[in-house]
Amino acid sequence: MTITTERAYGARRVYETIPLDGEAVALRLSDRVIELGPKEAAFYDRVAEWLPSSRPLAALALDAGVGPAGLERRLGQLAEAGLLYRKDSLPAVVSGIELHRDYFAKLLPSWLDEAFSHPFWERMTSGGGSLRLFAGWLIELYHYTRNANRHMPLSCAHTRDKPLKALRAKHYAEEWNHYHYFMKSLKALGYSEPAVSSSVPLPMTLALSNFMRQAAREDILAYSICSAVLEGTTIERATYNPYYQRCAELYSVPNEAIQPIYAHLDLDVKYQHSDLFLDILKEVDVVPAARAGRILDYGHQLAEHIWLWTDNIERYYDREDNPMPRRPFDPRLE
Amino acid sequence: MNADLPLLKRTAKISYLEDRVVIEYLREEITLEGGAALLFGKIYPFLDGKTGLDGIADQVAVEPARVRSLTEELRRTGVVALVAPDDADPHAMTGREFYALHRRYVEHWLEPVYQHPLWERIVSGRASRAQVLGFAFEKYHYIEGAYEHMAVAAANATETMMPHLARHFIEEYTHGDIYRKGLRSLFDDDVIVRSQPLPSTRALVNFLSETAQRSSFAYYAGNELLQMTENTGDAAEGQSVDRFYDAMRTHYPYTDRLIASFIAHTQADQKLGHESVFAEMCASAPPLTRREACDALETTRFMAEHLTLFMDGIDTAYGRLTASPRPPSDLGTG
Repeated sequence: MTITTERAYGARRVYETIPLDGEAVALRLSDRVIELGPKEAAFYDRVAEWLPSSRPLAALALDAGVGPAGLERRLGQLAEAGLLYRKDSLPAVVSGIELHRDYFAKLLPSWLDEAFSHPFWERMTSGGGSLRLFAGWLIELYHYTRNANRHMPLSCAHTRDKPLKALRAKHYAEEWNHYHYFMKSLKALGYSEPAVSSSVPLPMTLALSNFMRQAAREDILAYSICSAVLEGTTIERATYNPYYQRCAELYSVPNEAIQPIYAHLDLDVKYQHSDLFLDILKEVDVVPAARAGRILDYGHQLAEHIWLWTDNIERYYDREDNPMPRRPFDPRLE
Repeated sequence: MNADLPLLKRTAKISYLEDRVVIEYLREEITLEGGAALLFGKIYPFLDGKTGLDGIADQVAVEPARVRSLTEELRRTGVVALVAPDDADPHAMTGREFYALHRRYVEHWLEPVYQHPLWERIVSGRASRAQVLGFAFEKYHYIEGAYEHMAVAAANATETMMPHLARHFIEEYTHGDIYRKGLRSLFDDDVIVRSQPLPSTRALVNFLSETAQRSSFAYYAGNELLQMTENTGDAAEGQSVDRFYDAMRTHYPYTDRLIASFIAHTQADQKLGHESVFAEMCASAPPLTRREACDALETTRFMAEHLTLFMDGIDTAYGRLTASPRPPSDLGTG
């Protein structure tokens, strides 16, 4: 057997592994949940570990205690269940609309679930958080929104296609100054404008905009999928109201601090920014599979960024002795 | 000078104990006892950089000579600075002064990296396979990042920095291959080169690249922090690193060839003698303005935070959010 035949399968991304009774597990994929009994789960683990390794197929067969025919049958069963896919069954190209309809739109809910699976959110909405954490999140949102000026225009500068750069420029024109909404909220929470505007973001907040700059330089569609993941969090009020409403009740956040956030989110909905990625992809006839894969990687990694961003925010603002907002470094004062 | 205004550094932590005052500043602990402790208690509110020594003496009704003597003692430790009322001096410090200051802060800023729980988890064998392999993969991605940030640094170098930055890139761009060789004991080459770094590793590489584009000196100041984490061949340091590798081999026997690649990389770095380059660079640098010094130090602080983030990412994301290695997406990944 050749290496190509040996690695004929790829593993689908598992978004969550839920332990069941005994050694059984439920694996949540983007489109289904698959329950595996103890033996199947152990076999799947072996396959998942073997796939990226340099070990030959015979080693997997030996580990699993089956012959070549039995192994092929069991791999086929995992593929039939949806845990594996045959690489030779993938299309060589997709259209822009197909990329949106058959991939992005189907994957986005799982990506967003992953992005917001950090325990911070449960903690905040169950009363275990604090006003400090709520305000810390807003400070970083202020920086992230202000930093849009570091990546949105850059995406235009690196785009050669007129229709695409026109769409991106329009988006920028509509969003460039939205950080003022967060400034309003923060002022309502008692922070002064100079203290907020001269503060420095957390490293992961900066990393998020640096990642967007990376995408902007590499591929306008990679940049656009990242932007679409972020816009995906603001499609309708029902998705964001409960968090702010609950925090307002739990941590006595004044209404004047919440209203600017709603105004900002409503504006995003009004501009229909969540449709922008589809509008862009309608302009693209053909996307080769390798480019499509890279674009999807960017989208998923943006979701991972949000998780790690949340982690960074919680770690920093949880410590009462950390300055808030973060001050720029000055050797005379530190 | 009476015109100088004493300022207590804002990062100093003051603890009042029964018969003494303990001041924690950077990595030092300053203890004041008896009369000095009492006097400090009185003058502490006025060490704000706005009140002169005579003014403080008046306020607390103490001999000016005593106030001057105590503040001078504290100034020597660095916890108090004497700031001039007119802050217009554009040449804040010489290159040598900057180097000394930089070194002092870096040792303090690196503490969270050295004390990161991931080290203990690996040494004690509590780290998962995903975390251990993830550690090796992320180190590979970080070192391979030389192709980006060192190249950007060379391409954007100032005239005086160009020879240093060109040499740096030329001497180090192959170092990722040393790690790749170690990983090839477990994975196919294609899996290694196509694997995706964690967002926190991208954050570190992107921060280096962004800085390299912006300021040659700040980039090298930040890079020096990374250089200081390398094993320079110091005997005590070497023993501690050896103990780490011994424990890693014991708990994770499959990492033997990975560890060999870590050691090979350390030896390759040691041969280059990069540890003295920054000191030489600072010694020959023209005086820095306060703004330049602040920028380079702020960059260095951010670098330390990104390095901590790099460790956090490996510790929290592997085995929880992601498997190791992280294959790229294709149209079948889901």
